Amino acid sequence: MALLDKKSRQVIKDPLMNNNPITLQVLGICSALAVTVKMDTALVMSAAVVFVLTMSNTILSLLRSFIPSRVRIIVMLAVIASLVILTDQVLRAYMYDMSKQLSVFVGLIITNCIVMGRAEAFATQNPPGKAFFDGLGNALGYGLILVGVSAFREILGSGSLLGFSVVPQWLYGMGYENNGLMVLSPGAFIILGLIIWVQRSLGKIEES
Amino acid sequence: MLEHYISLATKAIFIENILLAYFLGMCSFLAISKRVDTSIGLGLAVTFVLTITAPANWAIHHFFLEKGALSWAGLPDVDLSYLNFIVFISVIAAMVQLVEMILDRFSQKLYHNLGIFLPLIAVNCSILGGSLFLVERDYTFMESTVFGFGSGLGWFLAIASMASIRYKLRYSHVPVHLKGLGITMLLTGLLSMAFMAFSGIDL
Amino acid sequence: MRSNAYTLFFTAIITVVLGFLLSIAATTLKERQELNMNIDIQKNILRALEFEENPEIPWTVNDVQYLFTNFIRGIVVQQDGSLAEGIVPANINDEDEDKLFPVFLKFKGEVCEGYAIPISGKGLWSTLYGYLAIHPDGKTVKGITFYKHGETPGLGGEVDKRWFTDNFKGKSLFSDDGTLVSIAVVRGVVDGESKTVQHQVDGISGATMTGKGLTNFLLSDLKKYEPFLKRIAAGDQL
Repeated sequence: MALLDKKSRQVIKDPLMNNNPITLQVLGICSALAVTVKMDTALVMSAAVVFVLTMSNTILSLLRSFIPSRVRIIVMLAVIASLVILTDQVLRAYMYDMSKQLSVFVGLIITNCIVMGRAEAFATQNPPGKAFFDGLGNALGYGLILVGVSAFREILGSGSLLGFSVVPQWLYGMGYENNGLMVLSPGAFIILGLIIWVQRSLGKIEES
Repeated sequence: MLEHYISLATKAIFIENILLAYFLGMCSFLAISKRVDTSIGLGLAVTFVLTITAPANWAIHHFFLEKGALSWAGLPDVDLSYLNFIVFISVIAAMVQLVEMILDRFSQKLYHNLGIFLPLIAVNCSILGGSLFLVERDYTFMESTVFGFGSGLGWFLAIASMASIRYKLRYSHVPVHLKGLGITMLLTGLLSMAFMAFSGIDL
Repeated sequence: MRSNAYTLFFTAIITVVLGFLLSIAATTLKERQELNMNIDIQKNILRALEFEENPEIPWTVNDVQYLFTNFIRGIVVQQDGSLAEGIVPANINDEDEDKLFPVFLKFKGEVCEGYAIPISGKGLWSTLYGYLAIHPDGKTVKGITFYKHGETPGLGGEVDKRWFTDNFKGKSLFSDDGTLVSIAVVRGVVDGESKTVQHQVDGISGATMTGKGLTNFLLSDLKKYEPFLKRIAAGDQL
């Protein structure tokens, strides 16, 4: 971290811990949950969001003084959508199986509120360097939650992690069974609700 | 044939609810479901816009973007399907604008009720999701329309139920750190479970 | 507020630049994407025909191409079951789709070990695409795979999972008197005592519609190949 000055570190650390985009800013949950049944899809999804968010933040910050304010939103959408298309095309070319599993959810990064939110709130008012780190930090915070939820869902729902079985065989012998609910959608909502609860209790945060 | 459309709609509304099973449109769902009347307004607007954008995007995909779609223009080898995302989101944004203008012109009452929600809708993932699903699933024009309408109605049902539950919740003692977002997520989980019971319907 | 001309100019530039970049990306990646799609289809033909993949070391592109060129032969049959000469599956035109049907043969040396035919049709949400492999006896199922579908993960999406597809193995497509009955996906579990047990497989709980669709299109796809399968069952050599 010596490479980063204190301010960049703050910008990157803040969303990771105290200002986590999913739990606190209530952004970006949409496309997050459907790909959290297994951890590998969640990891690739996080990587895609990291790429799109850092790039869109940097590009829009570079362009910030040239973009006419009247067409601001549509320009942002165009840049973000192009980055998402690029990501989707690359996934299709180099990780075909993964892109089949992620199906429409890569495309939905476009409407992921976090990408538009950071572009509007941060990138258009800050220099490219800072915008880059803001994007990186937010995307990593988002990825952290996504991977966290998927870890719980995969361990409890399928008894494995990244495809390797982690629940020992003797436990099944004693009558333990995988929790089918975790694989289905309610599992995601409930896990996320509990994560928010724990995080807020630790951070002593209350909803106003 | 009619039976097919009815079962498709039932699926989209209840069994595979776009919000409760596919998590689409969560942002506005969480933010708006605090109040019953606004929830109903937003729900109606989403249904309306989904019913229009689904067939519109179907047509655009089918006649312009799909591989071989441009054969009517003498370009049978052109495959523009990589532009799907950017075109769909623009169509949605344009449609929302259009709906806003039409409402403003012809029905002031509806405009006042729905108008404030319309800008929110352009970035609601359920709308883009609906369009992407219909490409993924190879729907026909009619199927797309029915699917769009069904999904919208399903979203409406989900947000209206959630708003009613949260209204009742004001009188219960929720642990202080669970208040707000946390309890809403847990409740959505329960609601989603309840909707799964519909999968027992034999279609 | 900037002038209209500037706004227009800016939007035009952005549109051109983005459009240009995207087209470049799409064209350069296209070849690889199409290769991926073909490999994926070939992989499924191999799987249907019981080529086992080591789960620790997945097949590479080269492995798939090697297996496919060395052990698989594609032929095309006509509606009456006879061989269409001088044409391979990849060359079937769209207009001829309901007249010419592809078949993929698995060869070990000169011995044919099975036939794979493409199957596709509507499930609950989406069109399912896959391959059905049949024993050289022309009626026993060797395997079934699905390589593309948009069914719900965890419900209808289970169609491509081993626990479901393995149930098809050893089931019979024809009844004892030689009529085509295909295989039906039942609701729940197959009744082991029933006479039709040879033509049924367990359903996926919560995915009745996917099963129903699969049952329907399996039968209609098999009907296209019925004359061909009967020829093989009668012991005809190709």
